[in-house]
Amino acid sequence: MKKLAWMTAIALMTAALVAAGPAAAKSLVVAVDSPPRMMNPHGDDSDAGLSFMANFFDGLLQRKGEDGKLTPALAVKWEHPDALSWKFTLRKGVKFHNGNDFTAADVKFSFERLGSPEVSEFLNTGKQITAIDVIDDYTVVIKTKEPIPWFANNMHQIFIMDKESTEARDPGDVMIKPIGTGAYKLQEWVKGSYVRLTANENYWEGAPPIQSVEIRPITESSTRFAALASGKVEIVTGIPVELYEPVVKNPKLEVVSRPARRSIFLALGNKAGSPMADIRVRKAMYMAINEDEIIEKIMRGHAAPAAQIPDVPTVGYNPDLSRLPYDPATAKKLLAEAGYPDGFTVTLSGPNDRYVQDEKICEAVAKYLAKIGIEVNLDVKPKSIFFSEVAEGTLEFYLIGWFDGTYDMGRTYFKLAHSRDADQGFGGLNGANYSNAELDKLLESTAKIIDPEKRRQTLQRLNKMAMVEQIVWIPLHYQEDLYAIQKGQGIQFDPRPDRWMVYKEIDK
Amino acid sequence: MLTYILRRLLQGVIVLLAVSLICFVIFRYMGDPVLTLAGRYATQDQIQEVRKSLGLDQPTYVQYVKFLWNAAHGNFGKSYVSRVPALGLILERFPATFELATCAILISLVFGVGFGVLVALRPYAWHSRAIMAGSLGGISMPTFLTGILLIMIFAVYAGILPPFGRGKTVDVGFWRTGLLTVDGIRHLILPAITLSTYQLAVLLRLTRAGMREVMAEEYIKTAWAKGLSPITVIVKHALRNVLIPVVTMAGLQFGELIAFAIVTETIFQWPGMGNLLLTSIYETDQPVIVTYIMMAAVIIISINILVDIFYAVLNPKIRYD
Repeated sequence: MKKLAWMTAIALMTAALVAAGPAAAKSLVVAVDSPPRMMNPHGDDSDAGLSFMANFFDGLLQRKGEDGKLTPALAVKWEHPDALSWKFTLRKGVKFHNGNDFTAADVKFSFERLGSPEVSEFLNTGKQITAIDVIDDYTVVIKTKEPIPWFANNMHQIFIMDKESTEARDPGDVMIKPIGTGAYKLQEWVKGSYVRLTANENYWEGAPPIQSVEIRPITESSTRFAALASGKVEIVTGIPVELYEPVVKNPKLEVVSRPARRSIFLALGNKAGSPMADIRVRKAMYMAINEDEIIEKIMRGHAAPAAQIPDVPTVGYNPDLSRLPYDPATAKKLLAEAGYPDGFTVTLSGPNDRYVQDEKICEAVAKYLAKIGIEVNLDVKPKSIFFSEVAEGTLEFYLIGWFDGTYDMGRTYFKLAHSRDADQGFGGLNGANYSNAELDKLLESTAKIIDPEKRRQTLQRLNKMAMVEQIVWIPLHYQEDLYAIQKGQGIQFDPRPDRWMVYKEIDK
Repeated sequence: MLTYILRRLLQGVIVLLAVSLICFVIFRYMGDPVLTLAGRYATQDQIQEVRKSLGLDQPTYVQYVKFLWNAAHGNFGKSYVSRVPALGLILERFPATFELATCAILISLVFGVGFGVLVALRPYAWHSRAIMAGSLGGISMPTFLTGILLIMIFAVYAGILPPFGRGKTVDVGFWRTGLLTVDGIRHLILPAITLSTYQLAVLLRLTRAGMREVMAEEYIKTAWAKGLSPITVIVKHALRNVLIPVVTMAGLQFGELIAFAIVTETIFQWPGMGNLLLTSIYETDQPVIVTYIMMAAVIIISINILVDIFYAVLNPKIRYD
């Protein structure tokens, strides 16, 4: 009888210990500002989408830390044997979530998939590739049509899929069930409600510290705040500047801020004969804008003044550039010299649902320019319509924001500053039809420069030409990313510069 | 009756055609979906290729005829954004919206008619005045404000109800329901109240007006004189006649609640169809938008027809010839 009692006691204790095991597993609930569109890693090139995919999939390379340093992921080594080839040595022993081995065939399959408009938003990368040579199971050489100096820089965004299961499954299933090599597997996705992830215990970097993550997309910012304030979620992304104060005042919450990579700037056309073709007018418009006041009043201090478009870690950032001073008197004088003492009329376009306080910034710019006699017609509209107009190149003067995921300014300059040239695919988002032969020439010369040091110097030179000599754009500021977390729960969260939420980097 | 229903169905088809045509015309001004789909760095050529692969390079009327042909075969196209069938995306969200709208309309019917009768019987009592003042608030307060206030009071300060989402759900066949768990019902309370406020106020005012008019009628006086019990007089003789416009209104509102609970769903991050519609509009996901609007039209038209049929049940004197 006594023996039975002992055995029962031991059995109960063991049961209690076993039960305590899973309870100690760490879990995290996060509210993010935009829902995932799909679980196809190539179908959405927005940072909101890539942010989800980066947890299920790995690229050949990855970016880590403050300045987004390029480090190995599925490739352990990358080389650039000649201008058109990129050689990757792959990691051995990596398995996909379904148990398949990761090999060069998967890399070839994934890169070929990029060129298909049915499943890919990375057409630009996909179409540049002419051949993918599988040397052996763990060596791949990718050849491009033209030299792409920033090719490797983009490898953290191109995720590798499992060839066998992707081909075998129905295309619709591929859109909703990710099978990657990433640190997390998808447990359940209920559209509009949540995405649940569980740790991939066999992850090649070691299992992530947090075993299960629940991501709740909440688009309405006040609801996201309520979710945090009521303790339902632990981390919230995208705190709008107007909610900063309530979060800071709440003793249970803590704000985590990070200078964002994205800069906000104004693009100006230079159609021959128009006032803005005169550099003095461009200078006057630059000097008429009180950026400090925009940052203080509209951004409520959550932005840093910009003197150029790229941010510090980007190749092409020029530390010697500084903003023209705010000086409406000189601006007026410059306008008079240029032959517009009474100003002129211009239309300022911009999105109203894309960047932090975008519409308010446009209104402020209109107000500042009115002070030096330039009458501004505001034309602010939803981003879906605004960006169509940018792509058509029919605008005169507009607000836009940008940062380059490759950390190399070359690609962005071709897209935003080169004269529009549909045949070569240049200037696709040069919305005001800006054109400058000298700038085009220097820009085209950079396309073949691979040597990092030489490339940096040339892009810096180009940047100076654009910002100082020609005033292609009027830079405004770099945004700041604001997150909020529950205080005192030991959450270790360092936001990434690209705004991705990579849960293997978070601990608590 | 049958010819009447057939006639209404035919009208319904014409309405659907008109709705779809309007959708297609509006899309021309809604922004270009191809730009995002080709990716940020796509060249003009690549953008054209995507346009072609989606069939968007063809003239609008060709696209429209193709759409009609496919829709007639039950195929509403694939979402541009998530690249799965649009109808499936919407139907997946239907249970959430349907449960929310049903609870909201029940709340408004029960409280709207109940308070309406109460107010009509004692129009000058203080509680009647308070209710009427409240109903004015219900009509004039925008939904997003009601929602945010409820969240702030009950979820953030009092902490007794959850601020967002649908809570724990259970799958019953294809239907994912939140009504079978306590957590699911707790999550339903705030959004259902928010969604019902406006409708409640309208039904209340409608019932009150009708009741006050009917209560003054000769036949009610006769009923009182016959010595019938107050319940019989109020419910059977008076309310039954008042209910016709109330039911019409509630029916129409129900259709609208299902189709356009967009604001409430967005504020409470309710995973319903309205939430999907808003996201789709932001992303210019035309197949989802057009399918949604067609579905909304079908729902509203069917509810209208059902309401007409229900009339005949409530008042046998009504004939459709």
